[in-house]
Amino acid sequence: MSQMKRNPLVLGNKTLKDVTDDICAPLERFPSKGWMGLFLAAKTLFLFYIATIAIVIATGIGLLGVNHPVAWGTMIITFVFWIGIGHAGTLISAILFLFRQRWRTSVARTAEAMTVFAVMTAGIFPLIHTGRPWLDFWLFPYPNQRGPLWVNFRSPLLWDVFAVSTYATVSTVFWFVGLIPDFATIKDRATNKIRRTIYGALSLGWRGTAKNWSHYEMVYLILAGLSTPLVLSVHTIVSFDFAVSNLPGWHATIFPPYFVAGAIFSGFAMVITLFTLVRIGWPEFKNYVTLDHMEVMNKIIMMTGLMVGYAYGSEFLIAWYSGNDYERYVFMNRAMGPYAWSYWIMICCNVVIPQLFWFKKFRRSIPVMFVVSIFVNIGMWFERFVITVTSLHRDFLPSNWGQYAWSIYDTCILVGSFGMFLTIFLLYLRVFPAISIAEIKPVLHVGKDEEGGH
Amino acid sequence: MKTTHDSINEKQTDRPQRDRTYWRSFEDLNDTPEFNQALQTEFMSSPIRAEAAKEGDNDKWARREFIKLMGASVALTTAAGCIRRPVQKIVPYVRQPEEVTLGVSNWYTSSYFDGQEHLGLLIKSREGRPVHIQGNPSNPLNKGGVSSRAQASLLSLYDPERLQAPKRNLLNEKRTNRETVAVSWEDLDSKVAGELQKGNSYILSGNITSPATQAVINDFGQGFGTKHVVWEPLGNDDVAEGQRVSYGEAVVPSYRFDKAETIVSIDADFLGTWISPVAFTKQFSSARKNPATMNRLYSFDSTYSLTGSNADVRFRIKPSQQLTVVMGLVNAVIKSGKATGVSDAARSLAAKYANAAQDLGIAPEKFQKVATDLLNGPSLVVAGGLATRTEASLQLQIAVNLLNSLLGNDGKTVIGNAGSSRLKASYADMLNLIERMKSGAVTTLIIYRSNPMYALSGAAGFAEALKKVPTVVYIGDQMNETALHAHYVATDNHALETWGDVEYAAGVYGVHQPLIRTMYDTRSFQLSLMTWAYMSKKGPQRLQTYETFYDYLRAFWKEEMAGKVAKGRDFETLWNDLLQNGSVGEVATSGSARSFKADALSKISGKQNSSSLELVLYPTVQIGDGSLANIGWLQELPDTVTKIVWDNYASVSLKTAERLHLKEGDVVTLTVNGQKAELPTHIQPGLHDEVVAVAVGYGRTAAGKVGNGVGVDAYKLAGVQNGEVVFAGSAAELTKTGKFIQLVTTQGHDSMEGRQLVVQATNKDYKENKEANIHRHHTWSIWSGHQYNGHKWGMAIDLNSCTGCSACMTACQSENNIHVVGKKYVFQGREMHWIRIDRYYTGDVENAETVFQPVTCQHCDNAPCETVCPVAATSHSEEGLNDMVYNRCVGTRYCSNNCPYKVRRFNWFNYAKLIEKPMHMALNPEVGVRTRGVMEKCTFCVQRIKEGKNKAKVEGRPLKDGDVKTACEVACPADAIAFGDLNDENSRVAKVFKAEPRAYALLEEWHARPSIRYMSKIRNNDQVTPPKHGHHGEAPKNEPAHQEGGHS
Repeated sequence: MSQMKRNPLVLGNKTLKDVTDDICAPLERFPSKGWMGLFLAAKTLFLFYIATIAIVIATGIGLLGVNHPVAWGTMIITFVFWIGIGHAGTLISAILFLFRQRWRTSVARTAEAMTVFAVMTAGIFPLIHTGRPWLDFWLFPYPNQRGPLWVNFRSPLLWDVFAVSTYATVSTVFWFVGLIPDFATIKDRATNKIRRTIYGALSLGWRGTAKNWSHYEMVYLILAGLSTPLVLSVHTIVSFDFAVSNLPGWHATIFPPYFVAGAIFSGFAMVITLFTLVRIGWPEFKNYVTLDHMEVMNKIIMMTGLMVGYAYGSEFLIAWYSGNDYERYVFMNRAMGPYAWSYWIMICCNVVIPQLFWFKKFRRSIPVMFVVSIFVNIGMWFERFVITVTSLHRDFLPSNWGQYAWSIYDTCILVGSFGMFLTIFLLYLRVFPAISIAEIKPVLHVGKDEEGGH
Repeated sequence: MKTTHDSINEKQTDRPQRDRTYWRSFEDLNDTPEFNQALQTEFMSSPIRAEAAKEGDNDKWARREFIKLMGASVALTTAAGCIRRPVQKIVPYVRQPEEVTLGVSNWYTSSYFDGQEHLGLLIKSREGRPVHIQGNPSNPLNKGGVSSRAQASLLSLYDPERLQAPKRNLLNEKRTNRETVAVSWEDLDSKVAGELQKGNSYILSGNITSPATQAVINDFGQGFGTKHVVWEPLGNDDVAEGQRVSYGEAVVPSYRFDKAETIVSIDADFLGTWISPVAFTKQFSSARKNPATMNRLYSFDSTYSLTGSNADVRFRIKPSQQLTVVMGLVNAVIKSGKATGVSDAARSLAAKYANAAQDLGIAPEKFQKVATDLLNGPSLVVAGGLATRTEASLQLQIAVNLLNSLLGNDGKTVIGNAGSSRLKASYADMLNLIERMKSGAVTTLIIYRSNPMYALSGAAGFAEALKKVPTVVYIGDQMNETALHAHYVATDNHALETWGDVEYAAGVYGVHQPLIRTMYDTRSFQLSLMTWAYMSKKGPQRLQTYETFYDYLRAFWKEEMAGKVAKGRDFETLWNDLLQNGSVGEVATSGSARSFKADALSKISGKQNSSSLELVLYPTVQIGDGSLANIGWLQELPDTVTKIVWDNYASVSLKTAERLHLKEGDVVTLTVNGQKAELPTHIQPGLHDEVVAVAVGYGRTAAGKVGNGVGVDAYKLAGVQNGEVVFAGSAAELTKTGKFIQLVTTQGHDSMEGRQLVVQATNKDYKENKEANIHRHHTWSIWSGHQYNGHKWGMAIDLNSCTGCSACMTACQSENNIHVVGKKYVFQGREMHWIRIDRYYTGDVENAETVFQPVTCQHCDNAPCETVCPVAATSHSEEGLNDMVYNRCVGTRYCSNNCPYKVRRFNWFNYAKLIEKPMHMALNPEVGVRTRGVMEKCTFCVQRIKEGKNKAKVEGRPLKDGDVKTACEVACPADAIAFGDLNDENSRVAKVFKAEPRAYALLEEWHARPSIRYMSKIRNNDQVTPPKHGHHGEAPKNEPAHQEGGHS
């Protein structure tokens, strides 16, 4: 059996020590000015975000543009947006792991971190979008003295609570388990006691024995197996928030696959955005996250982009085929009504622009992929805007029709959420190994010949 | 002064010497000084005491003293916390009044009068405060119906800006207000009584329909030589004057809309704002209950009035065409040869209008049809209201009277002797008074509640004339535009604090009961006059004798009224019956035809001046003459036709807007009679192209926090010509300013988009098929549905009766403590109304027809809201109600998204916190006030259901249909809403659900299975609806619904 010749996954003829040194470097040196600048900006935005949330909770959700008939707005849109972002991480680390896609090792750690942080960012929204956030705990089925009064298990919002919290838990555990051997490495390299203590505690007593590795591999495999259905289920259930209701434009059977595809689409776009930036900030990572990696992910972006494009088209077809006046009206209104601009932004960003990736030159061009990924992120936010707002703003009785009353608070909430995400992400880059040291070492030889050269 | 420490020492010396039989230590036994010292300081654990001991015996608290004082202060604090601070003069029930049970409401009869319309009321009182106003079902006129304004007048009682004591205005030389200061009643009385001695005094008031008040004014006039001038901004002096010229007596006649088969209204908005809209709506809708025999309403409309919206056939005209319409009809009626008593003069005069239809731009056969219908049976022609107050308004009234006489309507549907002769308001008298004021012939002017500084055209010159009056006394309860220019404000009680009486119509009397003791230091108008008479020793004995107006009223009734109405009852019985029933006497149902005076025709000079753009001023249903502008409920009540809130505007037709390049909200300068006003444009479908219509009642400057600066004062656009104030027909000029004002409406879209929402059919469709135009959907479910073993509540709404008057909205707002959010938030879609009236235009935009649909929570059996709430805060009751549990609601708003009817309202902010005292007293204690972040919606008045069930249980009987009536149902003057138990076979709703062919469920195909059925609207216009080709077209009944569609 002749083996197919592949490009090496790690460039630069790295030795095992080089790998450890390279990956640990950002943790062990004083932060650069660039990082400091970005961090300060992100942190300021994060504080601003906290202040905005405090004002909204103190005064009322009416500060945002939600109204009658559009009772869900920026918070739900941005919630779905961030949940979607979170999908690429688990997909890369779990599904690609199970499929033995060894190129995933370089990007898995950071993609997964992104997942955890995106879910954290998203998780805030369902809590603060309610009218009385201080009573949010009523959404959990806990024993109580009111009868006991249980939650309504028929409500998709409740399923959402379970789905998102499960997803957040499992992906955090999965991510953390993957980090254990690397924490031990950092502990071993530590030159001061505090560092050694902290990373020692985080490494949970990892000693690197064969038994350790054997257990570790098994746990990792099981967690990958657990995470895999979650990748599909979380966004399926998020889509149920819409699909299970009876509102034209929401009530559609295509929603689960369409949402999952969209989530992977936006997640990979965010991975590309972040990695182009990481490669600029830490040039040594260019050897680990190579253009080949980026190209593979761009292919996935293009493919999932085509899938959402197909879903957009199919929605129109089904609306027409249903013969349902309300359904038809909603879709005509999307494309031609007062919010047509948002629909066409979505189409441009999600369907048209990713077509650039048919060309290898663009797939491998860092500036092009950065710009495209930003557009995809914008487009995917607008997709959720289109679904939420244009379906609600003109439904059954024309007397109810209205517009979303976008306010300055909507802007603050949307922009502020990026502050939260970036703050956590930048901290992560400083204190956690951004690439899995333990996993990268076994793939050093991929694509190399017997002599160790190319 | 003794110090605390001294007193302690004293106490110690007072103590008896200690007994030494038992001793506790040797020191004690030996009674050493150390021991005594220790004994004294034994309980000196208190730092205060220790401190005191250290510093010597200064003025410090000892421990016991401290504890004593602390105990006392704690007791005081506790007491202060328990006892409510006496912010008002309240007296606890020493002996509980027999009729008051805490938690149980009492209902008292009373009345409401807005200057034109009398309403018999039933007012709900809880623990001594009025909280809800309903119509009195035993009143022979409004029969339980009530207007929005009457219900909202409750809020004016609790208006924080209502005057609470007499005031004195310090006016500067220009006679503008410099400062308002308090004055005592004694000072005010002696000053005013002194001024009155000088003679030349006048009382200016609105219509006085209270016989006793009129008697007080007459008595007062007898004593002081005071003359009484009556004026109303929306008075019907044109009608009265027309009657005088035509028949000899100035009277506002009684109209019988229920007896007419054909009604023609020329700008008389009798369903909305003209004379007595509630009673008229009652009559009008009662004759439309059976679609097979319903009456027919033709409307010639120069605004888009509520009456025009309900017309079977509506013609758009401009004010200068009103006379042509009537004379054209006169001509057609005379030509038919069926008219009675046609004089030659009338014949020759009418002949001039042979081409009326062409002049009006109406197809001649359509116009002829109006005349033919008029001749066919009992009919009624009415014209009036501000829109007819052109320079030719008298001619119009005479022409209408002529037409009614020719048709034989006089005495049948127009009953002169049953009308009210107390509606004496007259612009001519007012202008006359102004002349006298200008010439200095008025020394003292007492203004009772009238507001001419606001509601009278500037051209009338009232402001200048007022400066010539040495003493102006204003009697009212608001510091309004006129009160600000009065020397003294003798603050009046609110109507709900005052005794009174009322003449509803000729021979129908009632007593007006107060509902609450005067809340502040105020005094009724009548008592003020009586006080001044008493102080001056003038006027008849009865004016001076009685200490209160109540005594005067009782004496007056005993002496003057009892004889007329007692019918053998003794006075006490009569009085009690009156208080219980609210009224006595019957409305005359018929009269004799009066002879039309031939010389009246000579007043009809000819055609009116017309111009290419004519102004029409009109009052709105919600704001009326503007006196209630400070009531939020009314400002936020959407206009019945335009659905715009918190504003007035210049309405123009689409063509005019296109011609002038105007868009909705573009500010225009409207120039009329030399007056200018800047108003936003509203594009009104169905308006005549040469009309610009503006509502009066807005633009108040001294109404209060709510009403100030809402809209623009349009009264000032009225002109004064030949001793008449002209409100319509004046040439208007519109110029675009480039500014923009956002007009805010509660309805986002005006078209039904071909959906089956309001089903409309014509009388011919109905004759063919009683279910005409209702597309029934085939729906099925794998679930058998809820079982309702007890009651199952449902509602039936007859769209053929509903006129869109919006009284139900105010009733609901009052009953259910619904908040007002203001223009800004209505614009953001945050209005809170639990019931709303959707208005859709149908037909072409030039001549659009209007349909109304009250929409409230449909209480669906398969309620989409119930399944999606994650915390089960909205759930299904055993009686089919869709309950909303406010306490459990977290506010995800998912229910609102999933509601196809979008009837749920969310508390975006903490509105309840904004209720200013004493407005909280208007809250219905039976309904919770919702907090921030909670969803709310119609409950089918669940508190009334409970009350009804409890009452039946206490009385040991099953619940009857009609025992439970929702607030909207009770208020509806058209009886369009019926509520009841669907499990009771004989209930009105059960019959509609089972047997009424016109009944249909809204969005039936969505299978939410609502508990409300609408009954289709029938337009009695002899047309046939062409079959539609859409999904909701008229499908053959045997065709399964699911095979349709896909071909629209």
